Order: sequence, then C-alpha cells, then structure tokens
Amino acid sequence: MDQKTAGLNITIFFCQQLDIDQDKNRRTLEKELGSQIRFFPLPCSGRIDPLHLLRALESGADMVYLIACPEGACRYREGNLRARKRVGYAQKLIEEIGLEGARIELITGTAATPATIDTIARELLMRDATVGISPVRSKG
Amino acid sequence: MKAESNLKNVLTLNNFAVTAECGPPKGADPGAIQKKGNILKGYVDSVNVTDNQTGVVRLSSMAACTILKQEGLDPVLQMVTRDRNRIALQSDVLGASSLGIRNILCLSGDHQSFGNQRQAKGVFDIDSIQLIQAVRRMRDEGLIIGGEALSEPPQLFIGAVANPFADPFDYRVVRLGKKVAAGAEFIQTQCVYNLKRFKEWMRQVRERGLDKKVYILGGVTPLKSARMAEYMSTQVAGMDVPDDIISRMKGVDPKDQRREGIAIAVETIMALKYMEGVHGVHIMAIEWEDVVPQIVEEAGLYPRPETPEE
Amino acid sequence: MITAERKPMAEIKAMLAPYRKILVVGCGTCVAECASGGEKEVGLLASALRMDAQMEGRTIEVQEMTIDRQCVYEFIDKLTEVADRYDVILSLGCGAGVQAVAEVFPKMFIVPALNTTFIGETKEPGLWVENCRACGDCKLGYFAGICPVTRCAKGLFNGPCGGSKNGVCEVDPDSPCAWQLIVERLDSAGRNDLLEAIYPPADWSRQQGKGPRKIVREDQRSES
Repeated sequence: MDQKTAGLNITIFFCQQLDIDQDKNRRTLEKELGSQIRFFPLPCSGRIDPLHLLRALESGADMVYLIACPEGACRYREGNLRARKRVGYAQKLIEEIGLEGARIELITGTAATPATIDTIARELLMRDATVGISPVRSKG
Repeated sequence: MKAESNLKNVLTLNNFAVTAECGPPKGADPGAIQKKGNILKGYVDSVNVTDNQTGVVRLSSMAACTILKQEGLDPVLQMVTRDRNRIALQSDVLGASSLGIRNILCLSGDHQSFGNQRQAKGVFDIDSIQLIQAVRRMRDEGLIIGGEALSEPPQLFIGAVANPFADPFDYRVVRLGKKVAAGAEFIQTQCVYNLKRFKEWMRQVRERGLDKKVYILGGVTPLKSARMAEYMSTQVAGMDVPDDIISRMKGVDPKDQRREGIAIAVETIMALKYMEGVHGVHIMAIEWEDVVPQIVEEAGLYPRPETPEE
Repeated sequence: MITAERKPMAEIKAMLAPYRKILVVGCGTCVAECASGGEKEVGLLASALRMDAQMEGRTIEVQEMTIDRQCVYEFIDKLTEVADRYDVILSLGCGAGVQAVAEVFPKMFIVPALNTTFIGETKEPGLWVENCRACGDCKLGYFAGICPVTRCAKGLFNGPCGGSKNGVCEVDPDSPCAWQLIVERLDSAGRNDLLEAIYPPADWSRQQGKGPRKIVREDQRSES
C-alpha cells in the first residue's frame, strides 16, 4: 500500500467496541505490514494504562495510537474521557526523557461513520508523518 | 513605683481611649520610628507596633517599642506566635517588661505564606489564646508555662484582637469569651466598615456581659482611595468593606478620595463612641500615620486626657 | 496511608548517573495506593529510564521488583538474593522504606525516587489530602474528628483566626477552614463545653522530644 508513514513502526491500541469483527478485519493489514504494525484490542479505551504506551515505545514503536469511541458514545460512559487523561500523563512522562509527546496520540472515532479497525488504521497510515524514527530505536 | 501603662490608666478612668498603629520600617533606621512617634505624640494614648505584619521582615516590634518609649510614648508590643516558640515568646515578654514596655497585644499572626519569607517554617508552637494565658499567669502568679517561678514578674497590660467580620459569625463572640477567660484585658478589633455587623456583634458581646469584663477598642482604618476600598473588600480575607462604602468612595473625584476616607473614618469613630460597650478606638492608618492627628481632632477626641503617670 | 510523589526525572537521573545496574524497587502498600510507588509506577519509571539510556547511547541494566512492604524486614528480605547483582537500588518506597532497605543492605547504595509528602486519605480517585501530622498525642476527641494541628494552616487550638471566610481558609481558598468544620460539628453534637473550653499548649515533645521516636512493645519482641 501507499504508506506515507513508511518505515515507521506503528502500534495501535483500540477499543473493541468500535468494531465487533476487529479480529478478522485487521488480519490482512497485519499480514501486509508484518512487524511494522501491531494491534492491541482493549475492552474499552479507558482500560489503557500509561505503562502500555511506554512499553510499546520501548519495544520499538515509533508511533503509538489509542483509538477511542467518540465522546459521549463510550459503552462505559467515561472510559474514553479517562483514556484522554492517561494519554496526557504518558505524553508528559516521555517528554521528561526528551521524547516527543506527539509519539502518542489519541484518536477519537466519529459516531457518524462507523468504520472497521482496518479502515481506521489505513487512514492513519496515510497521514503525513509528524515524527520520524524513534531515537529509542535508532540509537538503541 | 513602676510606671504604669498609660492605656490602662486612660481606660480605668473611664475615658474613651484612642490608640494608633505604627508599622516599623523595612530597615535598621530608628529615625523612621521616631518620626512616626512624634507625629502621634499627644494625639493618642498608646501606639501599637506591629510584629512583622503579613509575614514581612521589618525592624522588630520590641526595638521599635523601646524607641517609642524613649520618645515619651506608651507603646503596645504586638507579639505573634508565628515566629517564636514558647521559650522565645516568654523570654521576650520578660525582656519587654524590663525595657519599660507596659502593653502587649497577643496574636497568632498572618500566615507566613503571605509575606516575603514564604519558605519560612511557621512556628505556631502555641496559639494567641495560649499566649494570653501564659502572659497573664506570668504577671499575676509569677509562673511560666510548666509552673516554674520567675524572680520578678513582668508588668504588662494584656490585649488581644477580635475580628467580628470573619466566620463562623456566631462563634466570634464565643472566641472573644475565650480570650477574656484566658486573661485579655483589652481588645482591638479588625477595621470596622460594616457598622451593621459590628453592632450585631456588640449586641452578642453585651448579651454575654463581656463588655463589662474587657475594654473593647473598635478598629478604624481610613481609606486612601476607592481602589484601596475595593482591594480590601476582595483581596484581604477577614475584611468586610460593604458596597455602600465602596460606592461612596467611587462617587468622589480621585483627588478628593483621601478627604472622603477621612470623613468615613471620623463618622465611624463617632458611631463607635456612642455604642454601648465600646471603650475606645484603634486607628490603623496604614503607611499614613500623619493623618491620625487630623482624624482624632475631627472626631472631637483631642486633647487626650492627662493620666497620673504621664 | 503515607503519600508520596515521584521526583522529577532529572533529579533521579543525576543521582543514578554513576551506576549501570539498577534495581528498581516498588512498595505494594501506601505508595501503591497513592499511585506513586507501586508495581505500575516501577514499570513506568524503569521503562522511562531504559528508553532514556538508549537514546543517550548508554547501556544500563534495569531490574524491576515490587515488594509488599519496604518498611518490614521480612518483605525486604525478598531482595536479598538479587540485590548484590546491582550497583544501586532505586527505591520507590516512602522515606521509611528507603531507610529500612538501606539498613538491610549496608553495602548497597540507595537512591529515593519519591518525595514523601504526608499522612493522608484518598479523598476521591486522584485526590489525596493530608489529615494527620503524627503529633503523638491525638486530640481528635476534642475537635469533633477534625485535626486542627494538620488541617488549620496555623495549627490553632482555640478557634478560627480572622482569616476564616465563607467556610474557606484565607491561606488556601481551595481548603475548607478546619475551624469552621470543627465549630459546626461540635455545635451539632451539642458539645458547647468543648466550644468554650480553652485548650492548653500542646506537648510537642511527643512529636519531636528526643529525636526519632520509638515504640517498644515487650509482648511483641523476639526472645534473642
């Protein structure tokens, strides 16, 4: 595929509620990109812990996304709001060691156009890269 | 014969007392104190010297009181529990008396976080009421905290403060009662702008018979400007400047606002003078001590009574 | 519980600078409850340290371990087998934990990762408030369960100062005036006697009398 973020390792945490068939839908993309892409389904984006995000960066991700349900559409009411705070906390932590906060990003889905996880992921891959290869990976 | 407190003499002879506040300089200059003292001399019965007010380092109250004493004034040593533990406080009580200082005002003091030494450790070993009690016992029984005897007791007229404008309102008079029970002989209040609330507080004071047990001096601070009125109303906790005072100040041309502030102060003094149970006024003209003679004269409180000791 | 906050990364890094093999030790009790020194926080700090070293081209070895309590020997003993393989112990315990670990391993260098702050309660998720100064002479029975030593900014024993307004403290408008609360509670409990009583000067020797305090309970002591 025509990936703008070519060469970057992407880790995607996402809320399973977004796509009931996520398990099946992400398989093609996983085969296509191999170790460059990693998916971690969560029962709710609110279950994310800053530790997951840091571990992803530590194990070689250049960019970590957390995909949450639209605001007001969380099955557990405020999981996606909590996710926002956790992402903020993790961003501050990595900034403290000189890593760009932008390497962790919260993506809030839109209620209007329910999409499958692979279409969301492909959209992310088509975006202009805001960060390059992580210094954790390149210098390690 | 030991020289007595002039303030005590004025009050016990049933005069309406006038005291004023004098803030020491932020430096070692005795001239600043002498100058303020000479402005006030003859117009007031006693002069309070603040103790590092609002947590700002200034020339010590004890030293300034001594200078005022030398200038022929009757100083009131303000002593806060914020900066000294009970060892230092009791030691200073003895020291003050030995220097001829005859009045003490016991306070807890503004919190150190308001001042220019915000990283200081707030001591607060004892509180203002415990200090009153300690001084009273030193004077009357010759005993310090813990019960050890003094070779010579201090001679001090003991004062405390009251803020009728802070909360919880109904507890304010209870707290005054505690200060009286602890041994306070005179009370200087927070600045009165809200006469309605002050009257209600005085009603509660009389209801408890406290006005018969302690001399109450109402606090008066002349406003310099409408801005000062607004600042005190919004920025200074425990200060109650009602809207009608603020609008009255605002309604006057800025160059005449000082004049208006003086007029309000004089009116407040007159109201206090005729209020049952009020025994005097305490004028706190912040960095404006030279206005005090004018206020005292306009309020009809000049000349001050001659007392046997003076 | 004892609450604590993590020190800034730069301070931790500076203290660890001379060492390569780091044992990061968390504590599963108080500091886990206040989310500063439990297993998760150990993981976050260890991960950050590793990434930081990698970015700077340094090789370090970071081992994570969290024990149930850093202030009790039996739990600290769990570190005995591994400790000597490391150059330094980075403790995420409170001040008591750091010192207890240091005492068990006299040859190890130990560095604190936290600033121990106060004894407090979890008021709501993500909010901890101080409510005890461990003065050694609990007065809560006289003050309707609200500690004036801790919760009044001036530690006043005999009523609110002139800075109590609308129920809040002039020193910190985000804090309720402890004395407003005490007066309300004593009043509703019908304890006018306590409202009017003069409380005598406190005995601070129970807090700081002869240096560090000790509690000795003979019935709990071992025979040897």
